[in-house]
Amino acid sequence: MIFNKRRVFLKSSFLTTAVILFSGSKLFGAISPLETLSLVQEDLFPHAKEIGIKSAEYLLLILDHSRITDEEKAFIRNGVQWLNEESLARFKKIYTKLSPAQRQEMLETISTENWGARWIESMLTYILEATLGDPIYGANTKGAGWKWLHHTSGFPRPTKAYL
Amino acid sequence: MKYDVCIIGSGAGGAPIAYELSNAGFNVVVLEKGKEYKEEDFTKDEVGVCRREMFTPPLKEEQHVINERVEDGGITRHVGSESGWNFWNGSMVGGSSNLMSGYFHRMKPNDFKLESVYGKIEGANVVDWPISYEDLEPYYEKVERVVGVSGRVTKHKFSEPRSTPNFPHAKLAESGVTKWFDLACGNLGFESIATPRAILPLNALNRNGCSYSNFCGSYGCATGAKGSARAALLQRCKAKIITEAFVYRLESDATKITSAHYYDKEGISHAITAKIFVLAAQAIESSRLLLNSKNRYFKNGIANNSNQVGKNLIFSAGGAGEGRFYHEHLTPQEQKDLMQPGLFFNRSLQDWYEYEEGGKKYKGGTIDFLFEHANIISRARRELYKDGKLIWGEALAKKMYQSLTTSRVLTFEVFNDWLPTDGCFVSVDSEVKDKFHMPVGVINLWGHPHDLKVGEHLAKQAAKVLEKMGAQDISMSISSSPPPNLVAGGCRFGDDPKTSVLDRECRAHELENLYVSDASFMPTGGSVPYTWTIYANAFRVADSILKRIKS
Repeated sequence: MIFNKRRVFLKSSFLTTAVILFSGSKLFGAISPLETLSLVQEDLFPHAKEIGIKSAEYLLLILDHSRITDEEKAFIRNGVQWLNEESLARFKKIYTKLSPAQRQEMLETISTENWGARWIESMLTYILEATLGDPIYGANTKGAGWKWLHHTSGFPRPTKAYL
Repeated sequence: MKYDVCIIGSGAGGAPIAYELSNAGFNVVVLEKGKEYKEEDFTKDEVGVCRREMFTPPLKEEQHVINERVEDGGITRHVGSESGWNFWNGSMVGGSSNLMSGYFHRMKPNDFKLESVYGKIEGANVVDWPISYEDLEPYYEKVERVVGVSGRVTKHKFSEPRSTPNFPHAKLAESGVTKWFDLACGNLGFESIATPRAILPLNALNRNGCSYSNFCGSYGCATGAKGSARAALLQRCKAKIITEAFVYRLESDATKITSAHYYDKEGISHAITAKIFVLAAQAIESSRLLLNSKNRYFKNGIANNSNQVGKNLIFSAGGAGEGRFYHEHLTPQEQKDLMQPGLFFNRSLQDWYEYEEGGKKYKGGTIDFLFEHANIISRARRELYKDGKLIWGEALAKKMYQSLTTSRVLTFEVFNDWLPTDGCFVSVDSEVKDKFHMPVGVINLWGHPHDLKVGEHLAKQAAKVLEKMGAQDISMSISSSPPPNLVAGGCRFGDDPKTSVLDRECRAHELENLYVSDASFMPTGGSVPYTWTIYANAFRVADSILKRIKS
C-alpha cells in the first residue's frame, strides 16, 4: 500500500504536530489536526466514506507532496486552527466535540468568510481527487469513485503514483 | 567538439531542424531543459499530469513575472510563485507538442498580409509578413506527410489553396453528435468543417494509430499517434539530445554566436560550440535568453541593437463557450451517442474568417468545437457551486451524480488575432531570479480592445449553433486573458533590421549564424492555433540552413 511507504512523512508531518488554539486571547490548548480534518471531510462529503474512499489518508499524501507548496500546506493547517477557534467562540467546544448539526452550522458560518470558503473548496477538491483520482494513489479503492459516476478511465493507467 | 548545428529547445520549432539537418548527415546537438519521456512513460494520471502539473517546473524554482495593465492604465505586478499564474507548458523532449490536442489549421493567404488587406489599426503594430502563403504551402504539406495530419478536406468560403487534394491520413472516428452539429449548421447556413488533427487514426509512419482512450489534450500520447515533435521527428533522427540542460547564456563576438552555455541537473556549467545556433526555446523564453545574454557587442542583449527583442509578443485572442445536453431531452439512441467516450468531436467553423460589420471589413477567425475534457476531477469540481454558493454534503453528491451521468458539455474555442502592440512584450526582471540565478522573464500584458470585439462576434455565432443543436445553459467567455499555450512573437521576422529581429529566413539580422525557429518569428499570428505553422516554418528554415551549410 502506498500509505505504508510514506512512513517518513510521519516524522515531519504537518498533521502530527499539534495545533495550538486560542479562545479569545487566552491559550485554550492543543489538538491533533488530523482528527479535525478527518471529521471535516466526512461532514463535507459523506458519500466518499460510504463507498470506501480513503480521503483522510489521501490528505496525508498531499501534505507531503513535492508539488504542493508550503503555503498551501500551511493554509490547510491554519484552517484547522481557525475553524476550531471559531467553534470555541461560538459553542465553547472544539469542532470534533460538536454535534453533527453544530458542525454543519460551523461550516456554513466559515463559508461566508473568504478564508473559510477557500478552505472548504480546498478540502472538497482534495476529497474529489481522492474519490476520482487513479486508484494507484490508494484512496479510490477498487475504482469505487469511478464506478459511482460511471466513469471510464483513460488508458494506459499509471503504474506508480506521482508524489 | 564543434557541432555543425546546436539547437536550443526540442519542441515544434526546434525538432524539424534537428530532423532535417541530422538526416542530411550533419552533426546536430539539441539542448533541452526538460527530461526525456517515451510512449511507455505516458499514462492518463489526472492527479499527476493535470492536478500536480508533473510536466512543468515548480513555480518556486522557475517562474515569470507578469505585468498586467489594468483599466486605469496602471500596472499590476504578479510574481508567478506568489500568484500561481503559470505560463509553462511542457518542459520535456518534444516540448508542449507532447501535450497538445493537435487541432491543426493552416493560416490563410490573407493572414500573411494583414496590413495590406485589412489596413492599419490604431494602437496596433500590424504588418505584412515578409513571406507569402505560397512560400509556406509546400511546408504545410510536408508537415501533413512527415508529422502526420488526418482529416477530410472540406471546401468552404475561406478554404486555403492546397497543393494536394487530400490529407495523407483518413479522418479519426467521430462522435454521433457531430451529425447534430452538421444538421444545425446546415439549417443556419453555416459550413461545418471537419477539423484536421495531428493524430494518426491507424498505424503509419512507424507509429501506432490512436487508441481512442478519450484523453488527448494535456496528456502525452502513449501510442505515438499524436504528432509530437518527439514522436514524429526526434525519435526518428540521429540528432544528439542533451536533456536537463538549461541554456542560460549565449556568447558572441560582433557577428557570430560563439558558444551556448548550459547548466546540467547538478548545476554544473557546460559550453557548446557550433557553426550554427538555432534558438527555439518557446517565444517567451527565447526572448529572455537573448535579453539575458548581454556583452560588449550587444549591450542590450544578443541581436537586440535595434531594441526589438521581446517586442510584439502575441497570444491567441478569443475565448471559449459551452452548452450542455441533458438526457431528458434526448432519445435513448441520442443519449448513447452523447455519452460515448473516446470518439472525437472534430468540427470547426471558419464562416467568419473575414466578415463585415457596419460597412467595415474585419479579420475574424476560427471556432473549434469539442467535448468538454474527459478529466473527471475537473468535471466534478465544476459542481461545487450552485447559484454562486459553495455546496457540500449530500446536495453536492446528488448534483454531481446527476450532472455527470445524465448530461454532457460541448464546448467551443474561439481563435482570432491578438494584435501586436507596444503594450505586450517580454523583458527580464531586475529582482526575481530562477533556480539557476538567472533573471526571470517578464510578460508585459495588454490586449487590444479590437481583439475582444472580434472574439465576441465569433462567440455569438458559435452560440447560435449550440442553441440550434438543443444545448441548454449556453455560456461564453471572451476576454483578453492570454492562453499560455498559444504564444508567439517577440523576435518578429521582416526585411527591415530596425523593426524586426530576424530576416525572412529567420536568421538574426545582426548575427550571421543565429536562427530563431520557434513561434517568436511571427509578426502576427493568424486566427488559428499556431503549431502547424511553427512546424511548417521550422521545416522552411531547415531548408534554408541546409542550402547554406552545403554551399
